[in-house]
Amino acid sequence: MITPRFEVHRRNLDKIFYPESVAIVGANNVRGTVPHDILDNILKANFNGVVYPVSPRERFIAGVKAYKYVIDIPDPVDLAILVFPSQVCHLALEQCGQKGIPAAIVISAGFREVGQAGKEREEELKRIAEKYGISFIGPNCLGVINTDSRSLLNASFARKMPEEGSISFLSQSGALCTAVLDYAQARNIGFAKFISFGNKADISEIDLLYYLKDDPKTRIILMYLEEITDGPALMEAAREVIVKGNKPLLILKAGRTSEGAAAAASHTGSLAGSDAICDAAFTQAGIIRCETIEEMFNIATAYVYQPLPEGNRVAVITNAGGPGVLATDACIQNGLTMARFEEDTTQFLKKNLPATANIKNPVDVIGDARADRYNVALTAAFKDPNVDAVFTILTPQSMTDIDLIAREVAKVSSHYNKPVYTSFMGEADVKEGIVVLQRNRIPHYQLPESMARSLARVLQFKKLRQMLQSKKAIPPVNAHPEAETILKDAAAKGKKVLTETDGAPLLRSWKIPVAESFLAHTPEEAAKWASECGYPVVLKVASEQILHKTDVGGVFLNLNSAEDVLNAFKRITENVSRTMPEALINGILVEKQIPGGEEIILGIKRDPSFGPVVMCGMGGIFAEIYRDVSFRIAPFGEEEAEAMLKELKAYPLLTGARGRTKRDIPSLVKTLVSLSHLAFAHPRIAELDINPLIVLDEGKGCMAADVKILLSNNS
Amino acid sequence: MEKQELLTKVKEVVARVLKMDPEEIADDANFVFDLGADSMQSIQLVAAFEEEFGITMDQDKALSVQTVNAAADFIEAYLKK
Repeated sequence: MITPRFEVHRRNLDKIFYPESVAIVGANNVRGTVPHDILDNILKANFNGVVYPVSPRERFIAGVKAYKYVIDIPDPVDLAILVFPSQVCHLALEQCGQKGIPAAIVISAGFREVGQAGKEREEELKRIAEKYGISFIGPNCLGVINTDSRSLLNASFARKMPEEGSISFLSQSGALCTAVLDYAQARNIGFAKFISFGNKADISEIDLLYYLKDDPKTRIILMYLEEITDGPALMEAAREVIVKGNKPLLILKAGRTSEGAAAAASHTGSLAGSDAICDAAFTQAGIIRCETIEEMFNIATAYVYQPLPEGNRVAVITNAGGPGVLATDACIQNGLTMARFEEDTTQFLKKNLPATANIKNPVDVIGDARADRYNVALTAAFKDPNVDAVFTILTPQSMTDIDLIAREVAKVSSHYNKPVYTSFMGEADVKEGIVVLQRNRIPHYQLPESMARSLARVLQFKKLRQMLQSKKAIPPVNAHPEAETILKDAAAKGKKVLTETDGAPLLRSWKIPVAESFLAHTPEEAAKWASECGYPVVLKVASEQILHKTDVGGVFLNLNSAEDVLNAFKRITENVSRTMPEALINGILVEKQIPGGEEIILGIKRDPSFGPVVMCGMGGIFAEIYRDVSFRIAPFGEEEAEAMLKELKAYPLLTGARGRTKRDIPSLVKTLVSLSHLAFAHPRIAELDINPLIVLDEGKGCMAADVKILLSNNS
Repeated sequence: MEKQELLTKVKEVVARVLKMDPEEIADDANFVFDLGADSMQSIQLVAAFEEEFGITMDQDKALSVQTVNAAADFIEAYLKK
C-alpha cells in the first residue's frame, strides 16, 4: 500500500503539525466567520511561528499585515490554510503550489459532500496537489490542533485550544470534534494532536496513523470514522501503530446497521453483514472498537494518566456495600480478578478500621468514613503485592469529606507504581472532588462498572500487541492456474453460478478435500455409480438456478440401496418440476455420504471496504438461524484460523465436550487457511459457500460435502 | 451594446457594489478570489446587474458566474434575447 502520495505525505506532514509559518488564505475581518476566527485562534494560542493573512481586500486583519495573494508573501511559507469559498479554492491552491508551499489544510466546505459539482472541485484540488507535491488535509474539516509547546498551533475554528496531553484524536466529522473538545475540557483531558480530516480527499486517516505512530507526544490514538475506504490499509496501519509504535488504537466506527446482507444470494452473503465484518477486521488488526465517545475516553484516560497494571488483580475500596458489589461483579464479568490480600494486609486493616468495616476485598470502610479511613484502606491495598490495581468508590454522605478524600487518593497513589481508578458516585455534591481527581490525573468514572471495563481494555492492549507480534507473515498468495482456468471458462460461457461439478475441482486444486461424486442423467446411471462407490450415498439436484436445494426437495440423504437411489432420483425430479419448473437441471449428483462428523459452514464474501472475507460457523441448513459465525479478512494464517474457531459458541463440540469425540481441528484450520488464500487470489469469486464441511474425528480430516460459487458481475 | 462598453458598465456596477475603484478591476478578475466579494455581495451583484441592464437572470446560473469577463458574456446573452 505504499503509494507515491504516501511518501509525499510522510515528508510533508511535519509541515502541517510543526509549521514555522502559516498563511491563512481567504481571511477577513468579520468576527464570527470561519475566515476570521481561524486566524484569531492561531494568534490566541500563541503560535510559535509567523502568520500571514491573505485577503483580496483587507490590508490588515486582527492587527497583522495582510497580503492580497499568497504569492505576494516575501518569505517561505510552510502551511496554507484555505478558507475561501469552495469555488475558488483551486485558484488559491494553485498559487500555493507556485509559491512552493508543501502543506495545506482546506477548511472550506462545498466539495464531494454536496454532489457532483463539488466532487469535481475536489478532484481539481487533488490534481493541483499532485502537480506541485502538496499534501493537504480536508476539504470540509474543522482543522488541526497541535498542543506541543514547540508549535502551539490551533489551525481550527474550535472554540478553544485544548490542554496539552498525550491523547491524539482524529475524526471524520468536524462537528463531533467540537463536541469532543468541549467534553474533554470539562474533564480536564488534554490532547497531543487533534485532527479533523474531513473528506480525506488527499491525506487520509491511514497517513495520519503512520505519522502519529512516530509522534513522541502521542501515547494513544482515538479515531472516529464514518467510512472505511481502504480496509486492508487501515488494518496494516493499525498493526504498525500497535506493534512498532506501541500505542493503542481505539476506533468508534459509525453506522452499525447492515446493508450488505439484504441482497445476498448465499448463506455467507446473508450472514456477513458489513458491521460484523468490521468487527472481525478490527479484532484481526488489534484495534479496540468502542461503542461511545465516553468509552473511548474512559479507556484513554486510564491508559495515559495512570501506570500500566502488571496484572489483573483488583482491590476495591468503597464506603458503600452496594457499589462495592457492583464493582466486584463488573471485575469478574470483564475477566479481572479480585485480589486476595496477604495476611499482613488483613491484619493491618483489622487493626486500623472499625469493627463494622469489611476488611476483605471489596474493602468497605462504611458510610461514615472520612479521609483518614480511606488513607488506611488505600495504603494497605497499594502496599499489598497481590494487588495490581485499586478501584476507589465514594458515595456522598453528610460527613463524607469529598475533597479531602479526593486529595488523599491522589496523595497515596502517587507513592506507588500501580494504577488507581475512581468512581465518586453522584453529580452535584461530588463535582468538586471530581475536579480534584481530574487535575491530579486520576481517572474518574460515573459508574463503578466503567472502571472494570476500562482496566480490562488497558490490559487487553498488551495481549493484542503480543498477538500481533506473534503472527507469522503471510507469504505472497498467487492464483492457482487450474482454479483460474475453471473460473475463466465459466465466465466465458456467461455463467453466474458454479455448482459442485465445477466447484469441486476448483476446491481440490487448493487442496480442500471434496466428497466423491458423479453427475447422473438417469436413475439407472445414478444407481450404478452408487453401487460401485458404496453406500450410503446422497442425491442432490444439480442446477445453477437452484441455490438452496433442500428448500425445493432436491436433496435426499442416507440412501442405502439401489432401490433407494432410483426412488430418490424420481422424487427429486418430481419435486423440482413442481417447485421450480423453470430451472434447468444439469443432472442429479450422486455423492458418497460422509458418515459422522460435525457440520461446519465455510464461506467467502467480498466486502466493499475490506475485500475478501472468510466466514466459518456451525453449518447445515439452519446456519442462518443459529448465526454462530466468525469472520476474518483474507488472507490469513493458522493462528488467525484457530482464533476464528475459538470465537464460535459451538467450538466445544469440536474439542469433545460432554463426552463427544474430538474432531480434526488441525485439518479444519488448514482448510480455513487454504480458503482464505483462494478468496484472496481469485477475485472472480464473489461469494462461496461450503455447506456443510464435515469435520471428522481427530486424524481423519475433513471433507466438503457441498459447494456453491457465485461469480462476480465483472468476471 | 458593444462588448467593450458592456464590460465597462459591468465594472462600474462591480465597483459600486464592492466599493472599489473601477480602474482596479481587471477584465479577468474573479469576484471572490481577486475582488474579495463575500456571499452577500455576490447576491447584491446579481441584483445590481439586473437593475443596471433591465434584465431578469436565472439566480443559480448567475451566481455561478465567477469572473468579470464571464459576467459580461452572461449579460450579453440576456441582452440579445
